[in-house]
Amino acid sequence: MSKPDLTEKLNVIARSPFELYFEGEAVAISASNRIGDFDILPGHADFFSMLSPGEITIQKIDGDPVKIDAKSGIVTVRDNQAYLFVNM
Amino acid sequence: MRRPGIIEKEMGSIGTLKDLTGVFESLASTQVAKVKDKVLLSQAFFDLLWQRYTALRVDPKKRITNREGVGSNGRNVHVLISAEAGLSGDLDMRMIETMQADYDPSTTDIVVLGSHGASQLSQRGIPYIKFFQLPETDKYINVNPVVDVIRPYEKITVYYEEYLSLGQQEVRSINLVTTIQSMSEDAEEDVMTADDTIFEPSLDEIADEMEASMMSLALSQTILQSGLAQAASRFNAMTVAEDRAGDLLAEYKLEYHRSKRSESDRRLREVLVGIKKKRRERAAS
Repeated sequence: MSKPDLTEKLNVIARSPFELYFEGEAVAISASNRIGDFDILPGHADFFSMLSPGEITIQKIDGDPVKIDAKSGIVTVRDNQAYLFVNM
Repeated sequence: MRRPGIIEKEMGSIGTLKDLTGVFESLASTQVAKVKDKVLLSQAFFDLLWQRYTALRVDPKKRITNREGVGSNGRNVHVLISAEAGLSGDLDMRMIETMQADYDPSTTDIVVLGSHGASQLSQRGIPYIKFFQLPETDKYINVNPVVDVIRPYEKITVYYEEYLSLGQQEVRSINLVTTIQSMSEDAEEDVMTADDTIFEPSLDEIADEMEASMMSLALSQTILQSGLAQAASRFNAMTVAEDRAGDLLAEYKLEYHRSKRSESDRRLREVLVGIKKKRRERAAS
């Protein structure tokens, strides 16, 4: 079993139709969907999910996390590139 | 000729009107800048969403046109996106005239967004089945109630006003469904399948959610475009009104000076007549 690459980062774009919440590198995204709460870390499998209403947290490399109050949304992850489409 | 006092009073009113149109002009100009930013942001969002949607292994053209409930009533609908209030020049009237050229009441219903368009339709005796008030453009546009009304129609044509430049706005019409399909046709296809991707809850539900969002977004885009065109049209109308008020003020100033001169000439004439009369009386005595 290969060890996770701790130097990997997620590239995240989080936006609503009229607002760009965050664009940049992050170490984790926390959100929830119909199944429950989940975290996305670097190296996550390809993932496509509808989001449940609630708070989305993007843990940046440094500084305070970005918190988004989402009423609805979709998250998609592939090759450490994550897109969060919220409040559509 | 009118008296200088009356002309001066009217000049004061026109001066106030000129100042007011100046204020409206600068408000419209600020609105144009603000809405323009929103149009760009919303377009960027749509492009990105479409790019991710096309990554799903579904045929967008087939899916969007075959969505459940879409086209089930067999009729056409014209959606008119007009201004919420007046003061936006003749743009809404031009839009209604354009719509009338393609309007057949036996096959087509009308849904109108914006009070100004609704009142213009009523004045022309054109019936509409539903009216929606437009939200303030700096707030989130919830178009879901509109989408719910137009979803059963076979062909959805949206009439809106497009901003080309501050001096030029055009009336446009689009077929909403084909527009959604073609809005980002060149998007890269980076296919994600159930073999290599975790879909929660399921690929179909996600595709459904994204399509519904894209329909709303496409409609929001046209509302924003219309808002932008209306703000620009308002700006132009106010510029013309301010220029007209300026011209009128200049005309009134001229009339005022003429009236003042004529009044002083009249007084001078009265004095001269009085002097001549006195002289004649003295000479007679």
